[in-house]
Amino acid sequence: MAMRQFLVRRLLQGILVIWGVVTVLFGLRAVSPGDPATLMLGEGANRELVERVREEEGLNEPIYVQYLDYVGGLLQGDLGYSWQSNRDVTAMVIERIPATIELTIAATIVAIVIAIPLGVVSATRRNEPSDYGATLFSLLGISTPNFWLGLMLILVMSVWFGIPYPTMSTAAVPVGAVRIPYPSHIGYDFYGFPTGRRGVGFPDAMRALVYDQSVSELGAWLRYITLPALTLGTYFTALITRLTRSGMIDELGKPYVTATKAKGLPNPLIRYKHVLRNTMIPIITVLGLQMGTLMGGAVITETVFNWPGLGLRLVDALRIRDWPLMQGIIIFIAFAFIVINIVVDALYTKLNPQVSAE
Amino acid sequence: MISDRMTSNLKQTFKESFLPKIGLVLLLAIILMAIFAPLLATHDPTRTGHYADTGSPYPPMGHSYETQIAQDGDIVDIEVHPTSEHILGTNNVGQDVFSRFVYGARVSLLVALLGTALALVIGVPVGLVAGYYGGRIDDTLMRSADIMLAFPGLVLAMALVGVFGSTPIQVPDPIVMAGFAEGMPESIPIPGSVTVVAGLVIWVWFARVARGEALSLRNQEYVKASKSFGMPNRRILTKHILPNSLTPIIVLATIQVAAVILLEASLAYLGFSGTTLSWGYEIERGQDLLRTRPWISMFPGVGIMLTVIAVNLLGDWFRDALDPNIEGDERGV
Repeated sequence: MAMRQFLVRRLLQGILVIWGVVTVLFGLRAVSPGDPATLMLGEGANRELVERVREEEGLNEPIYVQYLDYVGGLLQGDLGYSWQSNRDVTAMVIERIPATIELTIAATIVAIVIAIPLGVVSATRRNEPSDYGATLFSLLGISTPNFWLGLMLILVMSVWFGIPYPTMSTAAVPVGAVRIPYPSHIGYDFYGFPTGRRGVGFPDAMRALVYDQSVSELGAWLRYITLPALTLGTYFTALITRLTRSGMIDELGKPYVTATKAKGLPNPLIRYKHVLRNTMIPIITVLGLQMGTLMGGAVITETVFNWPGLGLRLVDALRIRDWPLMQGIIIFIAFAFIVINIVVDALYTKLNPQVSAE
Repeated sequence: MISDRMTSNLKQTFKESFLPKIGLVLLLAIILMAIFAPLLATHDPTRTGHYADTGSPYPPMGHSYETQIAQDGDIVDIEVHPTSEHILGTNNVGQDVFSRFVYGARVSLLVALLGTALALVIGVPVGLVAGYYGGRIDDTLMRSADIMLAFPGLVLAMALVGVFGSTPIQVPDPIVMAGFAEGMPESIPIPGSVTVVAGLVIWVWFARVARGEALSLRNQEYVKASKSFGMPNRRILTKHILPNSLTPIIVLATIQVAAVILLEASLAYLGFSGTTLSWGYEIERGQDLLRTRPWISMFPGVGIMLTVIAVNLLGDWFRDALDPNIEGDERGV
């Protein structure tokens, strides 16, 4: 099967890329200034203690031994221990994944739901006011820095209209935010975020809806995610609107559209069934390539809204130069990126039979 | 190559649509603002205000800005709202927001232009060589490009800045040195590592496009002919392949300038930039004062947005006029 062969090849390539990412990160850590043991213990730590930590952590070994150690650990799923909090990095990464997934999926949904109809309308009513409106919106959307957009949303919604957005952080409550109370059995981590199960995540909202027939949890979740999802989703909404518009315009000029019209098929059916389907192919490719932007955007958005996801943890780790934590998060992000791209490529071949999995 | 047909296409599109005109005027205005920043700024952008009793730009222990402001008279030069003296108000340490807005354009544009230039210098030769020679060179170069692409641009940039450090380079300001603007800072801080990092993050996109062009050009008749005449490969690359692959590279460069402006702003917002005279950093500063002094964050964001809009409008103009075959709105960051 061509498909299976293709997938195997992509997976092998993916493994190679991950190995490259790991090596690059290890190299960066090796050339970065600052002694790890000192970073771990803090400035002015006891010299004997520093020496003992160097010995224990294998920092006195030659660099290739350290590298092999690190890669060997990774193969067993061991990302090491955080220098700052001495917690298992794997656990620190895993506990932050759901929040980031919720945010990115919500942003993607926002983008698709708004952008595709907007792009279709814009393309079918060219040079009418609705087209100009959509074009202007997409120009603004791809040109606005999303952290600023997030702050302006907070300013308008929370400060001017007085609708506070909820935050889970206990360390500092940002302007315009209200703190969501937590059940007391949940512990707090180093940064003041609850560890373990999240209190108002989507699964909890669904559980409340199904078992208690209560919509209040879902409402809380929606209140909690709306502003961050809009912030992260705007760039993608604008991007997909542009792509849909230009793709639709190209497709609408093709002979088969005239043929279907001549056959007497109703216009909306032509638009949505035939033309849009063909337009989706390049959109999906570009979206796959833009996953990196989405994740970079998530880092920023999580920082603005104190959203307890991977991105915020990454920024914290970078600020205090917690290399193992930072490496763990970046390796995970690269891994996710590669997996998503393989899925996108598979979708691409599925949607477009002409493209043999080359 | 930039042929006559292309220039006439560019002119044609420019005449027909008003969007490129807006973009050009806007960008020229911002460039002029950046160049003549010392003449336009009303205050020294780095001069902080101070409290009369302590002489410090920060409120005394146990006070917030708000409590200090409430006790009128204690404060010298830490204005609250925009006034005729400070037309856009002042920030949390009493610096003039308008002057910092004007100076911010310099940092933003310099980083964007230099960063994109660096990416061009690295990416285009790598891509052309990979595409032209093909085979093992191509495989090696493109696999390393894949590794670079597996990092989200911003994440890679943050990691690299962490390694390189972020000490800004002080560049002397010619206008102030020539004595045209008294009382303005004599040098401006350019975040050198952010510029280098931006180049290192986005070069891959140039390499990919250049490779694609070289790949299709190497099978053209005239390239084969030059080869059979014994023209050395290096000469073919510089005489034939490079000039003929310029169009998509130019279009990509405009898109990437916009991307680098946003990247620099994001890094500065997160505090990884090294310079404090940056639009992104100003937005971060105003974040905690959003309730009482929203203009601190508001105006720098408008600056970023207008610059990126201007660059994007020019990019759309180039793309529509030159019609290169590159994939949609690729943005590396």
